[in-house]
Amino acid sequence: MTIGIAAAPANLDFTTQGGAAIFEALLGNVYEGLVRLDQDGEIQPLLAEAWEVSDDGLEYSFTLREGVSFHDGTPFDAEIVQFSLERLDEWTVNTPGNLGAIERVDVVSELEVAVVLSEPDYDVLFWLAGPLGAMFSPDSLDSLATEANGTGPFTFGEYQEAVRMTLLRNEDYWGDPAEVGEAAFAYYADAAAAANALRSGGVDALLRAEAYDQIGSFESDEDFDVAVGTSPGVVVMTLNAANEALSDVEVRRAITAAVDKEAVLAAATGGYGTILGGPSVPTDPYFTDFTGEIPFDPDAAAEALEEAGVAGASLRFTVPDRPYAEAAAQVIQDNLTSAGLDVTLAIQEFPAVWVEQTMTNQDFDLTIVNHVEPRNVVNYAHSDYYWGFDDAETAASFTRAAEATDDDEHQAAMAAATERIVSEAPGVWLYNPPHVVIARSGLEGLPENDLGVGMELARVTVSE
Amino acid sequence: MALAVTVARRLGVFALTAVVASILVFLLLSVLPGDVARAQLGMNASDAAVAQLRAELGLDRPAPVRYLDWAGGLLTGDLGTSYSSRTPVAPQVMDALQVSLLLVGAGMLVAVLIAVPLGTLAAARAHRPDGVLLSAISQVGIAVPNFLAALLLVAVFAVGLGWLPSSGWQPPTAGLDFLRHLALPALSLGLVRGAILSRYMRASVLDVADEDFMRTARAGGLTPAAALRRHGLRNALVPVVTVTGVEFSALIIGAVVIETVFVVPGLGSLLIRSVSARDLVQVQAIVMVVVLLVLVVNLLVDLLRTIIDPRIRRAS
Repeated sequence: MTIGIAAAPANLDFTTQGGAAIFEALLGNVYEGLVRLDQDGEIQPLLAEAWEVSDDGLEYSFTLREGVSFHDGTPFDAEIVQFSLERLDEWTVNTPGNLGAIERVDVVSELEVAVVLSEPDYDVLFWLAGPLGAMFSPDSLDSLATEANGTGPFTFGEYQEAVRMTLLRNEDYWGDPAEVGEAAFAYYADAAAAANALRSGGVDALLRAEAYDQIGSFESDEDFDVAVGTSPGVVVMTLNAANEALSDVEVRRAITAAVDKEAVLAAATGGYGTILGGPSVPTDPYFTDFTGEIPFDPDAAAEALEEAGVAGASLRFTVPDRPYAEAAAQVIQDNLTSAGLDVTLAIQEFPAVWVEQTMTNQDFDLTIVNHVEPRNVVNYAHSDYYWGFDDAETAASFTRAAEATDDDEHQAAMAAATERIVSEAPGVWLYNPPHVVIARSGLEGLPENDLGVGMELARVTVSE
Repeated sequence: MALAVTVARRLGVFALTAVVASILVFLLLSVLPGDVARAQLGMNASDAAVAQLRAELGLDRPAPVRYLDWAGGLLTGDLGTSYSSRTPVAPQVMDALQVSLLLVGAGMLVAVLIAVPLGTLAAARAHRPDGVLLSAISQVGIAVPNFLAALLLVAVFAVGLGWLPSSGWQPPTAGLDFLRHLALPALSLGLVRGAILSRYMRASVLDVADEDFMRTARAGGLTPAAALRRHGLRNALVPVVTVTGVEFSALIIGAVVIETVFVVPGLGSLLIRSVSARDLVQVQAIVMVVVLLVLVVNLLVDLLRTIIDPRIRRAS
C-alpha cells in the first residue's frame, strides 16, 4: 500500500529538524507515546494503560503497558519514559516549551512512572500525545536522522529522500498487528503529479490532497472515495500593530469587515474547508464559531477606515510563496483596495525568507500564513511573538485555562480568551484548511481528520 | 600533437574556471536572503536553538574561513555533510547526478533520433509542401514548453491508457521497469529538444547544400540525396554537435521541471530542495558538480568536432 502526500521529510529526526512531515510519517506508526489522540481529538491510552492526575494538577501518575519492546529489542519501561521526557531540553524544534511545565520524571517501579510539573498545565496529556511525547531508546540517539527505532506497529524500512518512505509490519507488536505488510509514503511536491499517480495506480490514496480543482472529478468517479476532514491549521492574516494605522482597534476591525472570506476560501482551496471567525478550529474542544462577530460588510468597512483617518494608507503585505497564500492575498488586496487602502504585495520564499524577515524581524504590515501547529492560540499571550498581541486580560484567561483541572473550567477559560482576542482583531482568521483524503475504492481506514499528530496507518485495510 | 595542445589548453581553462566558479558560488550563496539555521528549524524555533545550530554548523565563522574550509574539502573530494539530511553530501550528489545523466542522456538520444532525420528531410524538401509542413511541425514543437509536453504525455500514456507509470524512478538494474519509468520523462525532454535541434539540422543541411563541394559532387553524377549522404551530412553535423553540447549542459539543470513533474530524484530536484532548505553545503556541491560537468562536456564537444571535421584539427 502506498500513500501519496505533499511535504517530504528532510531527515528522520523530529527532535532537531523542523517540518511536520517527519513525525506525521513516523508517530503512531514507528514511534509511540504514553497516550494518543483518537480521530475525535480525545486522549486515549497507548503505552500507558492508565493514569491519574493529582488534585493540584501537579502530578501525573502513569501505569505502563507490560511486555512492550522497541524494534531493536530494548524493553520499554519507566526508565525509558524518564529518559525520553527529560531529554526534551535537547529538542530544538516542535516547540519543546509546550511541555516546559515538566519538572522531573520519577521512576516509581518498572511499570509505574510519575511526571511532576512545576506549575499546573491542563494540556500536558495533549502534548504527550504529539511528537514531544514519543518514546526513544537511549541506544538509538546517534542515528535519529537516518534510522527510526520505536515501539510501534511498523518498523522503519528505508527512506529515499523526498521520494519514498517504506514501513514494514512489526510482527512482534504488543497490540493488534498492522493490517498491511508494507506501507509506504510517496512524496509529491506537485499536487497534479500526485493526482496523476493516484489515477494511474502509482499510489493507492492521497492524504491532504491539494489538487482542489480535481476533487470534483474524483468524487464523481466510482473507482475512488473522497473524504473531506478537518486539519489543525488556521490560515490567518496578521495585522502588525507596530504600524501606526493598525494600532487602532477600530481600523483592525474595519479591515476584518472588508475581507470577503468566502472569496478567499474559493480562491485558496476551491471552497473546501471551514471559514473561521477566530483563532480556534472545529476540533479544538473549546471551539466557538465567531464568524458572525465581525461580518463581511465592505461599505461599513470603507466608512470606518475613512472615519479613522487612514483611508489611502499604504500597507506592505508579505506573502509566503505558497499557492494558497498567494491566491488568498490577491483576493484580500482587492478587498482592501476597494475599502480605500493601498496594499502592496511582497512575495517571500517560504520558509527561509518569510520566517526570517516577517516572523523573526517582524518587518511587515500585513502577512498571511497557515499555522499548522495545533493549539498555537496561546501565542496570543506572548507579546514578543510576531503577532505582537499584548493584552493582560487574554493572558490572564490563558493562565486560568492552564491551571484548570477539569474540562469545563478549562474550556470556559479558553473560550473567554478567544472571545477577547476576536474582539481586539489582531488578525483576520480566514479559514481552517480541509484535510482531503482520496482513496481508491477498497482501501479503508485512513485517518480522515488531520490532528497535527501522526498519520496512523496500522488500521488501514486493502481489498482488491 | 595539435590535439594534445588543445587538451592542455582546455584543461588550463577548466581549472581556472573551476576556481572562479567556486568563489562565485560561495559569494552568491552567502548573500542569499533567509537564515540557514531558521530554515532547518522551522517556524517555531527559539532564538537560543537557532544560535546554537548556527554555531554547530560553523556559520558564525568569518566567510573567508568558511570558503577555505569548503574549497579545501572539495580538493580532497569531501563535499561536507548536508545540513538537512545529516548525511555526507558526496554520495547524495553522485546518486542524483547518475539519475540526471541517465535522464538527460535518454532525452538527448530521443532528440537526436528525431532531429537528424527530421531536419535533413525538411532541408532536402525545403521548397516543397511536405518540407514546409515538417518545418512547421518542428516550429510548433519549439513553442511547447517541456512541462506541457510532460503533462500531455502523462494524461495520454499514464492516466488515459495506463501503459506507463505517471511518475517515479527505478535504477537501471531494474531492467524493463527502469525503461518504463524512463520513457515518459525522456520523451518529454527529447521531443522539445528534438524540435529545436531539427531546426539547426535543417539550416545546417541547407547551408551545406549550397557549398561548392556539394555542387561538384552533384555535377559528378551523384543524385542530391546521395551527395547529401556521402558528403553533406558529415559537414552538416559539426554545428549540430556544438549545439547538442550546449543543450546538454543546459538540460542537466533544465530538467528540474521534468524531475518535479515525474518525481525523479535527480540533480535538479535535489538542487531545488537544497535551496529551499538553505542547505548551502549541498547547493554549493551541486553547482560545482554541474560546473565541472559543463566544462567536461564542452571539452568532449571540442574533441568530437575535431574528429568529425579534420579541418578544425588542422586549424588549431
